[in-house]
Amino acid sequence: MPDGFEERELVERAKEDPDAFGALYDRYFPQIYRFAYSRVRDQSLAEDVTSEVFFKALRNIKRYTYSGHPFSSWLYQITLNAVADHYRGQHGEVELEEGADLPSGGPSVVDEVVRRDRSRRVWSAIDQLPRQQRAAMVLKFAEDRKIEEIALILGKSSGAVKLLLHRGVERLRRELPQLEAELT
Amino acid sequence: MNDPELEELFADPAHREIVDLLKTTRPAAPPLDPHFRNYLRARLMTEAQRTLQPRATRPWWPFTLKPKVLAPMMAAVAAGFLVVLGVEIYLQRQPSPEMVSVNLPSNRTNVATAEPIVIAFSGPVDKTAVMETVVIEPATSVTKQWVGQKLVIVPNHPLAPNTTYTVTLKPSASPPPPPPGPSVKPAPTVAPTPVVMRFTTVPAPVAPVVPPSFTSSNVHYGHDSRLADSGTVFSASWTPTGQLLVTRPAGQPGPGAATSPSATASPSGPAAPAGATDVWLMSTSSSPATPIRLVVPGGSFAAAAPSGGLVAAWRLAATNQATLGIWDLQGNLQSTVATVDGVPDRPAVWLDSDRIAYVDNGTLRIAGLHGAIDAPKQKVDHGSLAASPSGQLLAVESVDHSVVIDLTSATAPRRLPDRATGFAWSTKGDLAFLAQQATGTELWVAIGGTNEKRVTSSPTGQTWSDLNWAPDGASLLLASKSVGAGSSASRLILINPDGTALTPFASQQEYSSPRWSSHGDFVLFTRQDEAGGRAFWIATTSPSDVDAAEKQALAEVDKFMQARLRGDNASAQAELDAAGLGAYQGGASSLLSSPGTQFDRYYPVTVQKTGSNPNTFLVGVRIFVSRSGAQRSFFEEQLTMVLQGQRYLVDAVKSTPTMLLSHGPTVVSVEVAPTSEGQQGDQGQSEQVRVRFDADVRADTVTNDTIKVTDSAGKPVMARIAFDPDNHLATLTLKLKPGSTYQLAVTTGVTDINGVALTQEYDAPLVISH
Repeated sequence: MPDGFEERELVERAKEDPDAFGALYDRYFPQIYRFAYSRVRDQSLAEDVTSEVFFKALRNIKRYTYSGHPFSSWLYQITLNAVADHYRGQHGEVELEEGADLPSGGPSVVDEVVRRDRSRRVWSAIDQLPRQQRAAMVLKFAEDRKIEEIALILGKSSGAVKLLLHRGVERLRRELPQLEAELT
Repeated sequence: MNDPELEELFADPAHREIVDLLKTTRPAAPPLDPHFRNYLRARLMTEAQRTLQPRATRPWWPFTLKPKVLAPMMAAVAAGFLVVLGVEIYLQRQPSPEMVSVNLPSNRTNVATAEPIVIAFSGPVDKTAVMETVVIEPATSVTKQWVGQKLVIVPNHPLAPNTTYTVTLKPSASPPPPPPGPSVKPAPTVAPTPVVMRFTTVPAPVAPVVPPSFTSSNVHYGHDSRLADSGTVFSASWTPTGQLLVTRPAGQPGPGAATSPSATASPSGPAAPAGATDVWLMSTSSSPATPIRLVVPGGSFAAAAPSGGLVAAWRLAATNQATLGIWDLQGNLQSTVATVDGVPDRPAVWLDSDRIAYVDNGTLRIAGLHGAIDAPKQKVDHGSLAASPSGQLLAVESVDHSVVIDLTSATAPRRLPDRATGFAWSTKGDLAFLAQQATGTELWVAIGGTNEKRVTSSPTGQTWSDLNWAPDGASLLLASKSVGAGSSASRLILINPDGTALTPFASQQEYSSPRWSSHGDFVLFTRQDEAGGRAFWIATTSPSDVDAAEKQALAEVDKFMQARLRGDNASAQAELDAAGLGAYQGGASSLLSSPGTQFDRYYPVTVQKTGSNPNTFLVGVRIFVSRSGAQRSFFEEQLTMVLQGQRYLVDAVKSTPTMLLSHGPTVVSVEVAPTSEGQQGDQGQSEQVRVRFDADVRADTVTNDTIKVTDSAGKPVMARIAFDPDNHLATLTLKLKPGSTYQLAVTTGVTDINGVALTQEYDAPLVISH
């Protein structure tokens, strides 16, 4: 994690200096691409989203003002918007309702789970969570973001993020033993 | 859990179990096209140059060559040094400030296949317009990027070897800013003059005879000689090109040395006097070794980049700090990538061309050459640290236990067996290491870096150390020493990766710290001298009889070809036997170029063994013909080289028709190699025929219909075909009978990425040796 002062200085420089913007790109590309992929699960789409994020950031960086949160929060916000833009009007993604159960382990799910190890299994289960829960879980557990920062990214209160995380973990607790039992 | 937020949120043990599982694992790394990151960066930087920099505030002259600025592009490819030759173009209607000069490497040879093409402009140009005019032939997909007034063209794949590339562009000056006041009609512009530059890439290694020319099982120990007296070299390591990087006491004589000891203090290693070392490049062509040049004044713990051309080394800075810098082999500092407190005790480890791992006061860190730093959070001590050839895996002897870290994934490091040390990666990506036990030393091998297995242990009463792979990755070299008082001499041992074929290597003298050169022709080691110090020695290795014969035949071919390029008829004829002379005089081919043309360059395409006792070789050579200074065409000859007394002479020649160098792709090499499936059956043994193109080729045009092998009766041979677009390489796997001759045909159905077809069909004979 870059030092906050150093990052702030770099962002200010990036408003005028292409090299500084390049440095920001080098620093944040991996996590933005990874986050984009976690949302769309498609390499080509993740590339499109990542491109969109950084071009939007470039176009708008002069308007960016430091709010005490890492610069990456802003990039994550843009990523979520870009993903939402992509899915807007499409019917390809089936969104689970809050409280709906995970897939009950039909043959395709079991087949998928069988060939994965335990860690893959738990992350695969996260992929099945409702969109907001999934975003909160990925940001917290894969990207090590603070709850306050996740709240900013998702446009929710810290309490709401805590609720999302709690529900996500609770659902994994309920569903994972069932999936594992089906394997034995 | 180590996260107060989570600890506060999840008090229930059942929840904590899930949270701990999530915190200790990571989702699998997403698939990522390795070119996408650089491609997107290039597009962003172009846009950033256009939108972020107000033209009025941006100085355009003079520009400076800042390593920091160039580093991202150079990191995207194997770094190379740039030579520019001025070609000035004056746009006649422009007054002085709008003059545009273009600095291009012109007619350079031996250009690295991963080298970026840098075109510098002395004045403001219409960058978008210039970029759109760039055309590269043979067709090559590239990323174009502006860095100040330099247009940097980075090939998306390595260029083809042995190929002359042409880059054409039309520079046009950007119009001067409009004067204040009422607008005036701009003056008409003059159509810009196209600029054409050419360069030729490095020769590829000659495709070997079968079996491959270097196999460690064929190699015998040659003779050894003292590289330098003890106390004059503190450490030494190989560069990829077979030179040595050595740490010497400061102030040693040699090219580029100052008359007084280095002004800059240096960090000291365990063996080096504090603050008194320099890093030198040395040649091994003489004994004692000859210093080539001083590369890092005040430096120590040097490590050559795997792609060549760059060196990472430590230097002491003020106030007990040390900096990790990157130098080119000419001794120019390229960048400083890290500063640490205290004195480093080991070299940094290159991961690939743009990342480097180093230890900062017990913590493993990774630095990008252009500044980005990632910390794997691994505590390490003074043990072994080694990176796989791809840079993906890093074997680390850490404080608690040894691990392999997958740098492309956020998964937890994989733990290795207790006491694992002495990590060595083969060129194939296999990991070997040792584990010292009370009963002796265990040798472990992990094929592909995973699933390590204990393959054998040292014989009773012996301990092993200094593990080192042979360059072909087919055997391991190590030092073996008897346990017990009075036995200090260690010997060299060769062993297969499966633990078999334990073979003494070298004489019965003492050898320590063996390091095989990347070409396999030398082994570097240390040996105690008469005064008790440790001196560096170098040993030559002897190739097998077939390999030696092949080298001898190729040397005669080179003499023959160089004479023809010079137009030296007498010297060329001296390389022919009576049959060969008759063949040329009978019109089988032209010994010298015809009037108005010139044999411009040549390279060996294939070497195939066609007979034994004595060995006979069929050597394919490609000869380029130029007219008015430009290469226009090429043809190939198949030279039969037969041993006559002590020399190989040309006994027969067959020539192909002349092929025009046009706008389409061309076959640059054909290689035949046995496959690992290679058991011989009724239909022959399994072979691979590898056909390499000079251009980026459309994969869907590489099929069994466009690349065919036929037997002597003209009957097609069934083949499985695969295409590697990154290396322009088509690989046919098929059954071929030893002792038979086949014909390869690459038809005009193959097209480059622009849809341009091969100008002519390419045909070549394939001789399958026994």
